[in-house]
Amino acid sequence: MNCTRYARWFWDDLEGRLSAAQAQELRAHVQACPRCQRQWEAARATYQALRGLPRLRAPERLIQQTRARIRAASTPKPVAAWWKRVALAPALGILAAAAWWGWLAINSAIMHPDTMASQNTENWVELHEQLELADWSPTPTPRYFITTGYTR
Amino acid sequence: MVLDTVSSTGRRIEVDTPSAEARLVERAQAQDETAFEQIMNLYADRLYNYLLRMVGNPADAEDLLQEVFLRAYQGLPNFDGRASLSTWLYRIATNLCIDHQRRRARRVQTVSYLAGEDEDGEPSEWEFPDLQTPDPMESALNRELQQVVEQAISLLSPKLRTVLLLYDVENLSYEEIARVLNIPIGTVKSRLNHARGQIQKHVEAYLRGESK
Repeated sequence: MNCTRYARWFWDDLEGRLSAAQAQELRAHVQACPRCQRQWEAARATYQALRGLPRLRAPERLIQQTRARIRAASTPKPVAAWWKRVALAPALGILAAAAWWGWLAINSAIMHPDTMASQNTENWVELHEQLELADWSPTPTPRYFITTGYTR
Repeated sequence: MVLDTVSSTGRRIEVDTPSAEARLVERAQAQDETAFEQIMNLYADRLYNYLLRMVGNPADAEDLLQEVFLRAYQGLPNFDGRASLSTWLYRIATNLCIDHQRRRARRVQTVSYLAGEDEDGEPSEWEFPDLQTPDPMESALNRELQQVVEQAISLLSPKLRTVLLLYDVENLSYEEIARVLNIPIGTVKSRLNHARGQIQKHVEAYLRGESK
């Protein structure tokens, strides 16, 4: 078995994952191989150093700050703000309905029957003039065309 | 998995079994503020140390720790308990570290937090709370070797550093790390071997007197 294979056993041995026979074989090789001995020492020192790394305590003020942030985040928002949002929808609906109603009222005033008749008359006059009939028909109305039986 | 039993405030937390942890989570999910504070006390030190070594400076680690707990609190109603609480919290922390590293320009952390100062301008004091079982062999290690290892860790790529810290420092299992990172167990082992190999080279050079 070559050195590379033994090097793979270093960490298994440190973690107690080698069988007794494998561990014994590894030790025998390490004792006989200076290069592997150096690597073995380095692996063991690394293993111990990693497990012995100092551990800091989280600052107490940090936990207090976190606690405060969580409490702030979990505090329900003011009821007024909630009602404002809820009330906004029907208020906007009423406003839209009023605007629509107003628009209808204005348009219906424009489209009053008298207004419509007047508008139609004007349209017919314009048409009549275009047909060069204005000079002998002073008050042309739609009825004019019917009563006169005018056709182009 | 036996959980830590001493909080950052020195208060003893009576959570030492998975079932006890599950009950704590249930209480926290039921809006029990005290239960969530216990969870914070339970994991603050572990997550802080992990974040500190991941991002390399205390200020960022503190910001991230707050963010971890905030996200955990907000996500707790959706925590279904399929993963352990620690796995879930480490996953949040790791994702935040990834976001943090993406946000910041890639730069080598040359300032070691080991030589940092606290908010009062005093040198930071490393404490050794009884969060882990003391190993007699650890006491033989000198500070210099630890600094070499810390420096070597900071030079690892984020992918390798994450796996190394979670396994060798935070003592998560292969399976837990695979769940935290959402990668196959084989990938966890491969990354761990690479990471250890790189650390080991630094230590070997140090032991041979080639570097400090």
